[in-house]
Amino acid sequence: MRRSDNETTKTAFTRLSGRQRDEVSAAIRSGISRRDFLAYAGAAGMTAAAAGQLFLGARAAQADTPSQGGTIRCALSDYGTDTMDPQLFSSTGDFTRGRAHFNNLVQLDQSLTPQPELAEAFEANADATEWTFRLREGVTFHDGSPMTADDVVWSMNRHIGEETASKAKVLFSDVKAWRKVDNTTVKAELSAPNSDLASILGTFHFKVLKEGESNFANPLGTGPYRMAEYEPGIRSIHTRNEDYWREPPKPDQIELFAIADDSARLSALMSGDAEMVTNLDPKAVPMVQNTDGVTVWSVPSGSYTCIICMTNTGPGSDPNFVLGLKHLLNRERTLAFSQGGMGTIGNDQPINAAYAEYAEAVTQRAFDPDKARHYLQKSGVTSAEIQVPNFGEDMVLLLQQEAKQVGFDLQVKKVPSDGYWSSVWMKTPLHVSDWFMRPTANIMMSLAFAPDAKWNESQWINERFGQLLKEDRATTDRGLKAELHREMQQLVTDEAGVLIPSHRNIVDGISERITGLTRNPLGSLGGCEWPEFVAFKA
Amino acid sequence: MWKMVVKRLGIGVLMLFAVSLIVFAGTEILPGDVAEIILGQSATPETLKVLRAELGLDQPAYLRYLFWLGDLARGDLGMSHARNVPIADLVAPRLRNTFLLAGCVAAIAVPLSLAAGLLAAMYPGSWTDRAVSWMTLGSISFPEFFTATVLVLVFSIELGLLPPISNLRGDSGPGEWAAALALPVATLTISLFGQLVRLTRATTLNIMNEPYVEMAVLKGLSRRRIVFLHVGLNAFGPIVNVVALNMAYLVGGVVIVETIFAFPGLAKLMIDGVQTRDLPVVQACAMIFCATYVVLILVADIAAILANARLRHAR
Repeated sequence: MRRSDNETTKTAFTRLSGRQRDEVSAAIRSGISRRDFLAYAGAAGMTAAAAGQLFLGARAAQADTPSQGGTIRCALSDYGTDTMDPQLFSSTGDFTRGRAHFNNLVQLDQSLTPQPELAEAFEANADATEWTFRLREGVTFHDGSPMTADDVVWSMNRHIGEETASKAKVLFSDVKAWRKVDNTTVKAELSAPNSDLASILGTFHFKVLKEGESNFANPLGTGPYRMAEYEPGIRSIHTRNEDYWREPPKPDQIELFAIADDSARLSALMSGDAEMVTNLDPKAVPMVQNTDGVTVWSVPSGSYTCIICMTNTGPGSDPNFVLGLKHLLNRERTLAFSQGGMGTIGNDQPINAAYAEYAEAVTQRAFDPDKARHYLQKSGVTSAEIQVPNFGEDMVLLLQQEAKQVGFDLQVKKVPSDGYWSSVWMKTPLHVSDWFMRPTANIMMSLAFAPDAKWNESQWINERFGQLLKEDRATTDRGLKAELHREMQQLVTDEAGVLIPSHRNIVDGISERITGLTRNPLGSLGGCEWPEFVAFKA
Repeated sequence: MWKMVVKRLGIGVLMLFAVSLIVFAGTEILPGDVAEIILGQSATPETLKVLRAELGLDQPAYLRYLFWLGDLARGDLGMSHARNVPIADLVAPRLRNTFLLAGCVAAIAVPLSLAAGLLAAMYPGSWTDRAVSWMTLGSISFPEFFTATVLVLVFSIELGLLPPISNLRGDSGPGEWAAALALPVATLTISLFGQLVRLTRATTLNIMNEPYVEMAVLKGLSRRRIVFLHVGLNAFGPIVNVVALNMAYLVGGVVIVETIFAFPGLAKLMIDGVQTRDLPVVQACAMIFCATYVVLILVADIAAILANARLRHAR
């Protein structure tokens, strides 16, 4: 339900007299279904629409009061090679467990603005080459020992240097070192300006550990929950940390467990064996929407599945070929076909409206077979082969159909998803790739489009673009930033070898009995931020 | 007989060794290694190098195999590469779950199908025989994923009686465990039923045509006595072997049921291990499956010998 709907229905409820309100509340608390309620209200002479509004309104009003206690169970599709070492976190399971167990220095809110967490305050110097963090006092680890500046410095420096295997190493590529200033102050010294450092620190890998931690079967954390049980690959159970430095969470326990099978996960939600499930199959969305007691939690994000045309080899080295394919993308159909419409139209550049830096002025490319034919003929290429693993197949098959219409032969080759990232990705002329949303446009583009980026997927080398990225990192002037981003997004959509037909929403299923979920778009169930905030409704 | 047991156990150990070599070689041939899987899309040559060194993957393959073998000889299964925890901790809860599931299924399916098979064989062509025959055909024709899905639809979604997933938490009560196990056990019982019944019936009928059975009939023995005593003991050998094979399947081969019910068992662990190239985990699972086969078949053979006077006193 959208926020605004929620407001109107809530008003319908508040317009009732006190006694009526109590009656309705009692009926809903006793577990009356929407259907039964409509029948009851109809008998009392109310129209179905009004009664429906009233029902939702009463529920929404109750939503505002979380209750103490209970166990919230969350079934995750993406549990993966689970670990408790933050530098190797790779799945939604890891990210969520990490959120329950640890804290970051900085927390990203629903609009992805950095907010204080273990750092009470933070600021960059004028040219963003040095960041200073004032640490919160009185924070303790789960064994009661205090969190210190040394712990923070050690945890952050783990992501830097020759000797690290951190998955987030590249995000710290311009950080020289973290240094302790005094007991409550730490500094990050940068080799180049980076005004996005605080946003980076709000992401999944930058957790604060105890200095010298080596027991990653059960490391010490400062988070809102303590780990009670951890069976890798199966589940973890976390109990409320009563000594949490913020207000402790309401539930007694949260339980995270793996259900890889789509329909088994859906069954668990429908039967009430899980309060939340991640990653609903688009085909299951209407079913969940039409079932009492459960609802779809769909958050627009910048995540996307794309087609890569390497620009340094094969047909992609001719820009006409890439432009031809870009005009062949039937974006609306791809969105409807592969995601059940749960997403937004893409424009061959990674930044969409989910990012604060999205530039509306960039012209939207449309499906245009005539232009496609023109550019493809100009390139002289008449056939090509694209490699597809276990994702992106729908998108590629649609493109293949459209290509046939303009007389272009696109061969689709299924390849194993095992070892895809090491043996196909960035190694063959045409293939598919996938990206999660990042907290800022600059982080996203620096990772996958900068001329010197390790993961510059299409090997698109544009020095002007690299220059713009650097300028953006060095300034905090909003007007200038907006202008830089408009030009960058235009450059990528015009020239890079990446085809982005659509961005997907993050679509999860939740029970209507829970409240407090946020709409952070960086990952499942509100950016995996839910453990601290979610509770049962009163 | 003891000589046979010792000999068979010796062969079993050799077989374990051979299997471990084959599994190791097979996993080595697969493209990519665990470091590439862990780092995935975000791998860089430098971080790959560091992680490989941390996991000992920079050693040549034959050395890694020998280290693993040495650890195993000391009873140490090693550490999971992908999950960074001792493999014993990964295996123990799943082994318990798997044996629990296999045990429950065996306890229900074996007596049920033996009884049905014998009943059908006692009165071939009768109404009972035909009813059993229809049931076995149904059981054989419906694949596990279909049976499981129908059971979930009826008992979990429509009736809301049983959970659709087997969430076996340590602190759950016996009632919750029974509920969690009900649907997987029912699915596997249905799937095993057909095979066991048909084999029991065929073997029994086969023996019923032997001359000594005719003799027993002519002597005027009751049908029940003939089937249960004279035929039953002779049919015991082949039947117990099939039961053993099915039990071994329940330990290592029920990955479909484990997936549909999110049942944390060993088969799924091994698949995960292969997908993440977590070699020590794959090896540990392979050893357990192989040992299960060796032991179960051995037990079946011993039981067959004990049940058969001719084999018992073989020279």
